[in-house]
Amino acid sequence: MKGERLGEFEEFTLLAVRALGDNTYAVPIQQFVEEATARPISMGSIYAALARLEQKGFVRSAMSEALAQRGGKSKRVYTVTASGLRTARDLHRVRDRIWSAIAEGGRS
Amino acid sequence: VTREPRLPRHVRWLLRLTRVPRDRRGEVQDDLLELFTVRLGDRGRLRAHWRLYRDLASLSYRRLPSALQRDPRPRAAVLRDASGDLRYAARLFARQPAILLLAILGLSLGLAVSTAAFSIMNAAVLRGEGLREPGRAPGVLKASERFTSTEWRYGEFLQLRDGATRMQVEAVLTEGASVRTEAGDGPGPTTNLGFVSGGFFAATGGRVALGRVLDRADEQQLDSPPVVVSFVFWSTRLNRDPAVIGRPIRVGRTTATIVGVAERGFSLPNLRMVWMPMSAFGAVYNSERLDGRSNASVQVFGRLQPGVSLAEAEAQLSGVASTLPVDQAASGAGDSRLRAILDTDTGLGRTAGSARLAVAVFVFVVIGLVLLLACANVASVLVSTAITREREMGVRAALGASRWRIVRQLLTESLALGAIAAAIGLMLAYWALPTVGIMVEAPAAADIAPDVTVFAFLGLVTLLTGVGAGLAPAWHGRGADLVTPLKGEGAGRRLVAPRRLRSTLITMQAAVSVLLIVMATLFVRASVRAATIDVGFDSERLYAVSATLSGTGNDNGAGIRAFWARAIAELQSVPGVTAVALTELTPFGDVTKTSIAGDGRNRVVVHLNRTRAEYFETMGLRLMSGRIYTRDEVAAKAPVAVVSESLARAYWHGESPLGDALPEPIKLPALPAAAVRPVIVGVVADAIPARLNDHSAFAVYEPLDPSSEIFARLMIRVAPGTSGVIDDAVQRLRSIDARADVRVASVAAQLEQETSRPRMLATLTVVVGAIAVVLCVIGLYGLTASVVGQRTREMGVRVAMGAAPGDLLRLMMWDGLRPVAIGLAIGIGAALLASRVAVSSLLFGVSPQDPLAFGGAAAILLTSATLAVLVPTRRAAAVDAAGVLRQS
Repeated sequence: MKGERLGEFEEFTLLAVRALGDNTYAVPIQQFVEEATARPISMGSIYAALARLEQKGFVRSAMSEALAQRGGKSKRVYTVTASGLRTARDLHRVRDRIWSAIAEGGRS
Repeated sequence: VTREPRLPRHVRWLLRLTRVPRDRRGEVQDDLLELFTVRLGDRGRLRAHWRLYRDLASLSYRRLPSALQRDPRPRAAVLRDASGDLRYAARLFARQPAILLLAILGLSLGLAVSTAAFSIMNAAVLRGEGLREPGRAPGVLKASERFTSTEWRYGEFLQLRDGATRMQVEAVLTEGASVRTEAGDGPGPTTNLGFVSGGFFAATGGRVALGRVLDRADEQQLDSPPVVVSFVFWSTRLNRDPAVIGRPIRVGRTTATIVGVAERGFSLPNLRMVWMPMSAFGAVYNSERLDGRSNASVQVFGRLQPGVSLAEAEAQLSGVASTLPVDQAASGAGDSRLRAILDTDTGLGRTAGSARLAVAVFVFVVIGLVLLLACANVASVLVSTAITREREMGVRAALGASRWRIVRQLLTESLALGAIAAAIGLMLAYWALPTVGIMVEAPAAADIAPDVTVFAFLGLVTLLTGVGAGLAPAWHGRGADLVTPLKGEGAGRRLVAPRRLRSTLITMQAAVSVLLIVMATLFVRASVRAATIDVGFDSERLYAVSATLSGTGNDNGAGIRAFWARAIAELQSVPGVTAVALTELTPFGDVTKTSIAGDGRNRVVVHLNRTRAEYFETMGLRLMSGRIYTRDEVAAKAPVAVVSESLARAYWHGESPLGDALPEPIKLPALPAAAVRPVIVGVVADAIPARLNDHSAFAVYEPLDPSSEIFARLMIRVAPGTSGVIDDAVQRLRSIDARADVRVASVAAQLEQETSRPRMLATLTVVVGAIAVVLCVIGLYGLTASVVGQRTREMGVRVAMGAAPGDLLRLMMWDGLRPVAIGLAIGIGAALLASRVAVSSLLFGVSPQDPLAFGGAAAILLTSATLAVLVPTRRAAAVDAAGVLRQS
């Protein structure tokens, strides 16, 4: 870890970008996160999370080639970076370790 | 055709109110639209709208970073653009070398003048002489109830130094002496010397570039005294020899050893070139060594100890001063005790700030005017190219260049021009500076070579001029019209505005030129007047001697009277001395005594002087009528007076004033004898004894009261064709009293100094005025040539309609000269104002409304402007109508 932590919402967003495959954009991400969490997600929070992730170097964005959709306009597409992926995996591993500790304790 | 789906208009409008940066608004808008469309299908109209507004709201409380911030263009790209701009500018310049040369010529002249002027002002006013923390180094004034003086006796200084604990007290005695750097006989050039007390360098903060400074131990060094030379001395007289330490130089009558070279910029006080310990004073002038009983006057200053306030130090020093004996002879019996006044504005060559400010303001105004001209000139050249480049700008804009991108191209061009001009200007300034230094009579000790301040100034000014000149065409190119220039033909329609801009620039240039030419002519006439002004006597081979005696001075002036008596007797036996006279005031000395005569409206200055009878012979003033007062009358303090010719003419209107009393309106300071108004016994030729710009030769001479001899000075007239007489004479004077402080000044040198001020201003304004006219002519020529080129078609039509070449010529001439005529009127008005208000005190015997200056300026400007317009216009008038019309 580079000392940059992931908030819960940021983690969802990061994973959504990964799940949707690289070069996805804001609208599918919003829909994905909304469906996965089953709560209404505003576009503002998605943009903000993406901006923070990009600032931390976990995703990078670029303007896409013009596509046939959306009247041939280009849009900003996001890709998870290697360090983003590593951070998400580390987080996952920490959770796994904790859950397995809980399992060994036989409390669940 | 399906309509392209869009967000409702009010949503798009609301989006602008959110915190989404403008460059990402389109992106966000597309996202919102897509979501909205999807939701419209999935969840119905109401839900879709509800979620849309929620998203909008969420966008207004979260700040979205700008795409520009997150995605900066690589820095190299900006540089690549700049180098592209530069390459483009170079190609453009190469295509129009004439225009380029004109612009560079004008700008480099302007920059050279301002650099030179700034260098001199920098040396004279801004830089100072290297005093560290001047606020903590006050001058020490000697004061009692009756007088305040800047000078202390050397003995008094020693006691002050020993008694002071809250400040370091130091002294300096400034003198001149011949300094020779090579072995050999004969005197070297007279050089400014500073005899300093041991802690002088420590107290002023002076440092050395080589060797060491002088210190307290050097005061004991009697043989081969150590000297520190100034940086300028080292550069000009010692060729910057690095092995100069330890070298002997001949100073006055002794041989001294160089121990240090002061760092550049240190010349305290008043442009010293050589510093020696005070103890060397006797050896240099072959007189007795300075000690506690010496009467030599020194200037005292101090350096406050850390944490001590001015008031504390002053109180303590006054305590020491109050124990010193008061010089009764100088101040009159019964004066109070002495006290010391600390003043951070005096001492160490500091002059009143206002005098410096006046010069600084004048020079800055001149610099400003020249730069304005140069700027206007380059701007007008660039505007003329901008007109022809309208098509290019149109293409650039059509290809998507932002306005800033186009402006940047123009700015790059003018800054490149500016940089080339600055390099040339700097070379010109370097080359011209020694000449300018001689012209303005900068003292040999002044360091006028450009330093860091000057380079910084030049850089700043170049930047300002470049941006200023580049912005004019950019402003003209604002709101670039995309279509018209591309069509190629329409260019003519937009010509009006830039032509008006350029006409305004020409008007401004003409006004400034006239102003400068008028000033230059006035100053030249004044300096010619000053140089040829008949002061009424021959100042060559005339010297003024002042003497301060040693001794306590309690003899009521008997000592000095005896000294003068012996001096006169001795000097009369010196071969080559033709006349000697005591007088209260010497010509062009520092002190004048005047009386204002007449009522309020008709005030005239009357110079008063008290002299011995021999004064008139010594000065060479011709007796017009009557007689000079006799020696007996002088001795008896008889109430008689001699007046100058013009005074006699003014008050007696051609009648003889002999035997009349001096007219009442002429006030006399307390008469020596009873209040009897003196009777006029003679009339002598006019002489101008004090300030050249007084315009007054009214003078009243009275016999010198023997009790006033303590203030008297001795005038010596040396026979023509002799040499070394004055050195011999001074040697004799010093031999009368080895402890006396005898100083000699050449009256010719003082007169020279008096006339140098208008000459400096004349030189400066002549050069600047000439450059202004050249710039104006260049600008006018360029404007006319380009306007003529653009109006060829119109001319063709006019010729086809039956206009004669003469008609065309008249039309074009008037069009070209109109801005000049307007500028002329404005400039003359400004010059009238300026000459009345600002400079009349600097004009010697020239009326501020001198018709020659104003007429001459108008004639010069109109002639050169006519020529500048005529040449291109003649070409246009000879236009071939058929050819032109066929072309279009």
